[in-house]
Amino acid sequence: MSTRDGWIRAPTLPARWRSALLLVPLLVLDVGVFLVPMGYLLRLSFTAQTPDGAFVEGSWATDGYQYVFETGLVHDVFGFTLGFGVLVTALSVAIGTAYAYAAWQATGWTKTVLLSGAVLSLFTTMVVKLFAVVLVFSPRGVVNDLLTGLGVVAEPLLLIDNLTGAVLAQLYIVVPYAILSVYAVLSTLDRGLVEAALDLGATRQRAAREVVLPHARPGIAVAGVVSFTWSVGAYAGPLLLGSGSEQTTGVLISRLLLTRFDWPAAAALSVVTIVVVFAVLLAALWRLGGDGGLLDA
Amino acid sequence: MLELDGITTRYGELTAVDNVSLRVETGELFCLLGPSGCGKSTILRTVAGFETPAAGRVSIGGTDVTDRPPHERDCSIVFQDWALFPDKSVLANVAFGLKMQGVGKTERRERARERLELVEIAEYADAAPAALSGGQKQRVALARSLTVDPDLLLLDEPLSNLDRRLRETMQLELTDIHDRLETTMVYVTHDQNEAFTLADRMGVMNDGRLVQVGEPATVYDDPRNRFVESFLGSTNFLSCRVAGAGDRPMLETPLGVRFRAPIDGADLAVDESVVVSLRPERLTVEHPTTGSRSEPTAVEDGGADTVTVTGTVTETIHRGSDVRIRLSVGDADLFVEEPVATGLTVAAGDRLALRWSPGEAVYFDTAGERCR
Repeated sequence: MSTRDGWIRAPTLPARWRSALLLVPLLVLDVGVFLVPMGYLLRLSFTAQTPDGAFVEGSWATDGYQYVFETGLVHDVFGFTLGFGVLVTALSVAIGTAYAYAAWQATGWTKTVLLSGAVLSLFTTMVVKLFAVVLVFSPRGVVNDLLTGLGVVAEPLLLIDNLTGAVLAQLYIVVPYAILSVYAVLSTLDRGLVEAALDLGATRQRAAREVVLPHARPGIAVAGVVSFTWSVGAYAGPLLLGSGSEQTTGVLISRLLLTRFDWPAAAALSVVTIVVVFAVLLAALWRLGGDGGLLDA
Repeated sequence: MLELDGITTRYGELTAVDNVSLRVETGELFCLLGPSGCGKSTILRTVAGFETPAAGRVSIGGTDVTDRPPHERDCSIVFQDWALFPDKSVLANVAFGLKMQGVGKTERRERARERLELVEIAEYADAAPAALSGGQKQRVALARSLTVDPDLLLLDEPLSNLDRRLRETMQLELTDIHDRLETTMVYVTHDQNEAFTLADRMGVMNDGRLVQVGEPATVYDDPRNRFVESFLGSTNFLSCRVAGAGDRPMLETPLGVRFRAPIDGADLAVDESVVVSLRPERLTVEHPTTGSRSEPTAVEDGGADTVTVTGTVTETIHRGSDVRIRLSVGDADLFVEEPVATGLTVAAGDRLALRWSPGEAVYFDTAGERCR
């Protein structure tokens, strides 16, 4: 390289420094919005409780963790949160996979409608979406009017202000992401492979199981991760559509923060929740990666 | 074995296959030959059950399968891009058809391995398809289709993604496998050499229609129309004027000679045009003898006699075993192919004498139909 046409050459850096430099914005973002707050949260979880404020500045204590590990209520909430997460994840992955498969199989208008149905619901905010769930599933809502009108049920079903409501609300939030992550992978599947399976004697269902599902596995894994992470962190769904006894760790943390002013306990509960979610995801990914090799004959 | 009766297949407005009827006998290796987009692959997909014909019936082994889904048809297709299952091992790919039939694990693995040995690729049984070369993938795809012992094997341009040498090896192996297993095969290709190498019989397609069916040599020597003649190898087309009508009409060529064509000229009027096809291998070239140097000679008799013209070499192209010589003769350009072994040495600018027998040329009217 030479200096030409009066351009002043920037001081040249060795190539590997130049590429490292490209990572700087990303690192700044990561450190600023993720590592620093996480470190602060961790520090907060090790401060002492005090009856007249949020926490004792500069103190070191394990009060928060003692509360988390020794309180029966916290154990119950934790158990419920994990169970809720698993239930929502299972439903979300099943619905998302079936929907994505239908959208992939569909052609023309049907395909457009199915896909835009999944995408459009992402354009509305969570609160609007959740009030829509209320309107649809309340005792005098669309679903119940339809069911009683058709005579399927005599009395309106109680679909909100209970566990069903909390699950429905959470599904409204996570299912579109599940659909899109499975669909994105399915759209890369060569249809010739399905034809080859049919040609060799597979029925449509069998071809879906032997060829389509194995191909969609990474997408299904992503759908599972997204659904689980979001459901374990659920807050608005259970709060708005649960009965009040559907307490997730998110709900409990907000109560600790806002009504009991026990910041060390809230911080400790947050840290434990994060660790548990990470552990579950790592275990699941390890399991998925373990048999990700060639399928048996 | 395979019987197509008036098959018409459409994609929306486009008619890909237009009223095709065809019989393929048991044990036959039948080639469907035609240019890209002529509908030959669509016929194969219709036979396999991936396309539903708008009209007509398909029957395999005497059973009408027109309304049956692909998995209920006793045929298997080898795809152009092989369509191997990427998540399954080579052995699992080959055993797939048997797995669908409910054959037990030990037996299906054993039978799959046998087929892999038949196509000489058994050592790759545990490999992933992605680790194989094009030729190896082709063998696996063939083994996978053969493992279900289909009554009818369909091959959709299976060798077109391979290089020439590999293609020729695979062609020979395929005929070998065909002889050994006696499976009825329908082979789709756009390569006439491939069709000549493989086919017991072939069908030439153009524009969705089946133009001509027959043994390769017969189709080559006795083409039904101008399309078949031009598709099955290179030739010289000469547009000639009818100078005298009637039986054995007199044709005036742009080469500067007239000759009587051995065809029935009853439908031809004076001044109409007739296209003469002169295959390069039917033309003899030699350095002109001093006596015939002067003017091109016309032959009045079209029978066993020959037409001789003299032309100037414009270009010579060495093509390995033969030399293609382009000549300017009168108002037309002709080419001939001479084996290098004949030792004829020519250079641009040389004068050469060309000779052919009118009985060995073929003639087409303005619509491209054969004049006989």
